[in-house]
Amino acid sequence: MSVSELQVTPQRAPGGGEKGGRALPTAVRVLRWPALIVLGYLVPVLLGGSDRIYAAVVLIAIFAIMSYGIDVVLSYLGEVSLGHTLFWAGGAYATAVVAVKYGWGPLTSLAAAIGVVTALAVVLGLATIRTREFVFSLVTYAAAVIGLTVVSNSDFLGGTDGLVGVPLLALPAVGGQYVARTNAEMWPIAFGLLVLVVALIARFRRSRLGVTALMAQMNPQLATTLGVDVRRTRVLVFVLSAPIAGLAGWLYAYQRSYVSPDLLSAHFLLFMLAAVILPGRRLLLGPLVGAAILTTQQELFSFGGDADKIVLGGVLAAILLLSPNGLVGIWHTITRRSG
Amino acid sequence: MRVLDQLVNGLALGAGYALLAVGWTVLLGAARLVNFAHGQLYMLGAFVTWWACTALGVPYLVAIPIALVAVGVLGAVMQLALTRLVVEQNIVSLMLVTLAFGYLLQGSAALVFGGNPQQIPSPFSSQNVAIGSARFTQQDVLIIVAALALYAVTFYVLSRTGIGRIVRGVAEDPKLAQLYGIDAARVYLGVFVFAALSAALAGAIIAPRSPILTSIGFDEVIITFLVVVLGGIGSVLGNLVTGFGLGFFVALFGAFFPPAYSMAAAFAVLLIVLVVRPEGLRIR
Repeated sequence: MSVSELQVTPQRAPGGGEKGGRALPTAVRVLRWPALIVLGYLVPVLLGGSDRIYAAVVLIAIFAIMSYGIDVVLSYLGEVSLGHTLFWAGGAYATAVVAVKYGWGPLTSLAAAIGVVTALAVVLGLATIRTREFVFSLVTYAAAVIGLTVVSNSDFLGGTDGLVGVPLLALPAVGGQYVARTNAEMWPIAFGLLVLVVALIARFRRSRLGVTALMAQMNPQLATTLGVDVRRTRVLVFVLSAPIAGLAGWLYAYQRSYVSPDLLSAHFLLFMLAAVILPGRRLLLGPLVGAAILTTQQELFSFGGDADKIVLGGVLAAILLLSPNGLVGIWHTITRRSG
Repeated sequence: MRVLDQLVNGLALGAGYALLAVGWTVLLGAARLVNFAHGQLYMLGAFVTWWACTALGVPYLVAIPIALVAVGVLGAVMQLALTRLVVEQNIVSLMLVTLAFGYLLQGSAALVFGGNPQQIPSPFSSQNVAIGSARFTQQDVLIIVAALALYAVTFYVLSRTGIGRIVRGVAEDPKLAQLYGIDAARVYLGVFVFAALSAALAGAIIAPRSPILTSIGFDEVIITFLVVVLGGIGSVLGNLVTGFGLGFFVALFGAFFPPAYSMAAAFAVLLIVLVVRPEGLRIR
């Protein structure tokens, strides 16, 4: 971890609003989040409201939630977890198993998904508690690949075919049920969960744990001197991040109506890392913007599977080599030069 | 006898694991560079060998140097792109960039070489050798000889020669080494190319044992992690011992349980070792 990478000015970190320093009129400050939420909800309508648009925005919401899971570890803890596909796939698989094999409803399957991934995260977090920097990344990466081989060979989990026939998402609602038959009907649920997760991240950035994590990342010695248990913080943040990815997996299982081992492939790992790094780390809406850019490319401007791998790998490598602070870093360089 | 068969199999497997890990551990020890694209370099070594054999029609033993040159040049290009990050010791970015490079290489290889499984036509794969009731191929002998030879050379160069002293100096303290007139960037380049060459060699001679796909790099690199983390980072002898140990473990496990779970079992061993001894088994 180089010091130059950590350019968070004390006044701005952590949370505290994007342009907290500048004085905004009170009305704007109070209303900008509700306005943004309403505007966000209307995005598919404003783009024409076709099936393709709804499919794309639902996927953006799901992949953004998935990316927020790894964002918590990568941005605030400063650790590179390469095992978060395990939590994403774990959430989806737990959902599919209980929904397909035992006929559980969406709320109980959500509880199962969260329970399974939290247990996985506790085991992995405690096993790596004493490992140094890159060994943590190696072990989490190995965990994800081992997960892939186990899932591909397990008859219980459907082997390489996965599990098909996840029922429609039917949530209890006033006067009966709300059934999400299409992506357009899925959108309110996906968007609602996305808003919830962003609110949770905003809360985390201001929480004691969030501040402690950032301190443990920037100066572990100082943190220890001030009485912070760095190892405990690391495990707590790691375990907290897992249910977020698991929640995305839960929703994805219903949206796609099947799960398969590709959830553990390098694709989703590279996707979530790129979604966080491309806009710039430690931005509240960063993973959402990153997921939107990457999903739009793949859903609406795809070059085919193998070429998309080159695009995703190339984008991630290029941004890290040219501007480690992401698109925001490039923006700052441009504005500084012209200004 | 089944156990004897599996022991011979384990010897060949273990030599292969050790061969795959040697360049990676030297690179990690000298430059603190975690190369997640190592598995893809192995895959490219295998595929360029296959391509040279089938498309160019050259003999297997001529195809190996072609693969080495191709992957070596690619390794040099990768390291030149990474030099700034290595000098800054920005480990987080290094891991992520190499991961991205690996994915990029995998996509490119799939476009160039296609998505079908291929078989490298090695003349040694069909030649059997028998010791007692145990049978193995000349290819297995080649892997064991190559692994032992490469470890002997690596150990000798690192511990007994001037080059080894320079590499160890840069590993210990790059800034101080530069004060003594050592060009650290050149040392990093050399070590990275060595790592790429050893991965390509491993691909060229281990891969004929089974059909190859452009996606194999993603899994193969796991074996390297297990060997290096268990054997102790930068410890050449430790890696040789754990490579063989892991080979025997996988072979014997596969004799009694479904072989698909052997890597998962090895990983479970790793998790236990990490809890008990986070620094690995580290054999000096």
